[in-house]
Amino acid sequence: MFEGLRQKLNQFKKTVTNKEHELDDAEVEASSNDAARLAEGPQETAGETYTPPAVHDDEAVGVSRSAESATQREVPGEATRTTSGRSLFEREIKEKDLEEPLWDLEIALLESDVAMSVSEEIVDTVKKELIGTKRKWRQDVGALVEQALRDGILKVLDVNSLDFDELVKKAPKPVTIVFTGINGTGKTTTIAKLAYRLKNQGYAVVLAAGDTYRAGALEQIERHADNLGVKLIKHQQGADPAAVIYDAVQYARAKHKDVVLADTAGRIHTNVNLMNQLKKIERVIDADLVVFVDEALAGNDAVERALQFNTAMAIDGSILTKVDADSKGGTAISIAHATNKPILFLGLGQKYDDIVKFNPQWLLNRLFGEAET
Amino acid sequence: MVMENLGSSLRDTLKKIARANRIDEKTLNEVVKDIQRALLSADVNVALVQQLSKRIKDRALKEELSGKLNPRQHVINIVYQELVALLGEPISVLLTRHTVIMVGLQGSGKTTTTAKLARFFQKKGLKAAVICADTYRPGAYDQLSQLCERIGVAFYGESESSDAVEITTRGLAELKRYDVILVDTAGRHALETDLVLEMEAINETSKADQRFLVLDSGIGQQASEQAKAFNEAIGLTGVIVTKLDGTAKGGGALSAVAEVGTGIAFIGMGETIDDLEKFEPDRFISRLLGMGDMKTLVEMIEEEPPIEMEEAEAMLKGEFTLKDMYKQMDAIRKMGPLTKIVQMLPLGSLGVDIPNGALQSTKETLERFKVVMDSMTGEELEHPRIIRSSRIKRIARGSGVTSDYVRELLKYHKAMQRAMKGVRSQKEMQKFLRKQGVK
Ligand SMILES: Nc1nc2c(ncn2[C@@H]2O[C@H](COP(=O)(O)OP(=O)(O)OP(=O)(O)O)[C@@H](O)[C@H]2O)c(=O)[nH]1
Ligand SMILES: Nc1nc2c(ncn2[C@@H]2O[C@H](COP(=O)(O)OP(=O)(O)O)[C@@H](O)[C@H]2O)c(=O)[nH]1
Ligand SMILES: [Mg+2]
Ligand SMILES: [Mg+2]
Repeated sequence: MFEGLRQKLNQFKKTVTNKEHELDDAEVEASSNDAARLAEGPQETAGETYTPPAVHDDEAVGVSRSAESATQREVPGEATRTTSGRSLFEREIKEKDLEEPLWDLEIALLESDVAMSVSEEIVDTVKKELIGTKRKWRQDVGALVEQALRDGILKVLDVNSLDFDELVKKAPKPVTIVFTGINGTGKTTTIAKLAYRLKNQGYAVVLAAGDTYRAGALEQIERHADNLGVKLIKHQQGADPAAVIYDAVQYARAKHKDVVLADTAGRIHTNVNLMNQLKKIERVIDADLVVFVDEALAGNDAVERALQFNTAMAIDGSILTKVDADSKGGTAISIAHATNKPILFLGLGQKYDDIVKFNPQWLLNRLFGEAET
Repeated sequence: MVMENLGSSLRDTLKKIARANRIDEKTLNEVVKDIQRALLSADVNVALVQQLSKRIKDRALKEELSGKLNPRQHVINIVYQELVALLGEPISVLLTRHTVIMVGLQGSGKTTTTAKLARFFQKKGLKAAVICADTYRPGAYDQLSQLCERIGVAFYGESESSDAVEITTRGLAELKRYDVILVDTAGRHALETDLVLEMEAINETSKADQRFLVLDSGIGQQASEQAKAFNEAIGLTGVIVTKLDGTAKGGGALSAVAEVGTGIAFIGMGETIDDLEKFEPDRFISRLLGMGDMKTLVEMIEEEPPIEMEEAEAMLKGEFTLKDMYKQMDAIRKMGPLTKIVQMLPLGSLGVDIPNGALQSTKETLERFKVVMDSMTGEELEHPRIIRSSRIKRIARGSGVTSDYVRELLKYHKAMQRAMKGVRSQKEMQKFLRKQGVK
């Protein structure tokens, strides 16, 4: 998982660092025509920073760092200032220098299924951050970019953080959670997984068979309820979903149940009537949490769907399913960005325990190739 | 929304080259970048986009600009040809005795499409039957058996068995006398090794002649990879793209067929059993690029005034009554959504403001609108102004919808009328049409 972006990022870091070095070298050459003494210079490796020499003496000036490698490059020792008076050891990063590598980076994000509009925005943040940054000579630009990128992504993922477990614990019972999303993304399966999880945590769970439309939907959720041994409130096929959910909440109240998990039929957001039906559910049911379910396999459309569903029935958080299908995970970023709400869980398979809490740091670590935590 | 912007940015750039009388590399790079953006945000595979843009660039520079074409038309033409080539030939269905296996990722629409296809064959006068070989998803048996019951198609399934291969064997024996047998399978992805092996076994047992991959139009960069795995396992003979009634552009499906080297057979346009349509490459490409009707544009290049444009022009003249709207809805099927026609017109530059979504109503809505209009009198259709609340009530009762729904229709008509007026009032449109080769 997530290999694509990781590779691209490393590649990006290399390109941009090399490019900057070329520029540095050009500048150095241009400013050291009078063949000053050459001294040992720093060797850059990713992630390290270099402090330019502050003191000169008659000896060859060399700022050697602890970890010098065999491939050290030579730099002019005396030419610490260019003719323009600007410190040679500081270069300003220019927009033009970044254009190509940033486009590559955007491609890398797209390859990980971050939607175009969102990738553009993230890359733009990085660009703004970098342009005009005074960079110490030979400081690793790649590292700077990575930091800016991390910050940009984290800012998207870390919105209005919401702890699902805390919410369920603290909210007055019964806690009502409604699940929405387009067809086939995994709403019903996710409800079953969460019912399993909540039951194991000691909560009394009620399911509401709010998909009264699709053939076999009642039977599907009924099977799950049986398997898990939780109560299901259902009406017949074609019934008003708002009424079903309402009944489930009434039932939970009367029987002192803790959590109502309400299913809804999958729908396409261009279907005005069905989106109005969601609005009705929102009016009739005072949900504690509206959870939008989409799949990690989704591409650019994830943004438009999330926006439209959010308009019909305000989303509090999202769940990303089918992450086990080797998806890169960028969809999480698209959805969090579109809804401005956190990703709560990831679905990792078809079994009841194939669900994990989402942790932004976890996705970042994956993206940037660090060991899993 | 995003796509519209992209489409228009692409149009802007193309306009720019239209004014130039030759293509210099810098401008071409700009255009290619815009095309890349359009394709990438339509979910076309990144590597494929890179290959494609290189080919487009090479060809645009290398190939002679024929006297007839301006540089813009030249580039459009190349883009169009390349995309058509990637899409391959549309797959045609067999109308003889045969067996079909339906495979795909979880939730992509296999079961729904199985029923849609059964209905399709039934309408063609063939005896169709269905086997449920999904023993995995809870309720899968009930879903398919209910769908089959609705359309009166023979169904074989075993609700308690967990061996999909055995079910298939017994089902085939049971359904021997049917012409077309459709086998629905459980959803799976490339990494679910056991399930992939199961699929191979079902495929072998069924000796399916047609092996359809059902793909969600919303799938992103995983499309090629997954399609490749399915193809390696059972050798696909075609792809069916679902949920195109939404806003997804279907670039994943394009990437999948390009990867596998097969074509698209059908598209799914809704949840109900008749929402299955034949695949039309031109409409698909237009949607993909978020641009006007590519085919029409290309036809213009060939300097044959396409009938579609004449119809469009006629529609844009006159009062635009409800009656015209009715006619328009009829025509939409023939010439594609009005969006496309309007997109070919220089509306932006004329300052015509078209309400977002007014042109994007789903086929379903339009059909329902037509039902409502069937309950109106001739006078009402000619003079919508006279429709007040008592008439609204009568129309609603007559067509079995709410009064609000009738009001919605009237609102839609008003918006369309305004848009049409905006276009019509501009003589420039005529000029534009003429310039485009429409007499
Ligand atoms: N591999 C995998 N499959 C999943 C996951 N979540 C759900 N699925 C499968 O995806 C398919 C659709 O799941 P459902 O839960 O029925 O989806 P839904 O959103 O309720 O579907 P509709 O009600 O038809 O709109 C089923 O085959 C599930 O088993 C997941 O995390 N990983
Ligand atoms: N709007 C729309 N929904 C579809 C289409 N095809 C399938 N669906 C829905 O997508 C969901 C999953 O479909 P299903 O046939 O059960 O998928 P399967 O898991 O691949 O068998 C269901 O809610 C279907 O009603 C389509 O073309 N348009
Ligand atoms: Mg469901
Ligand atoms: Mg199915």
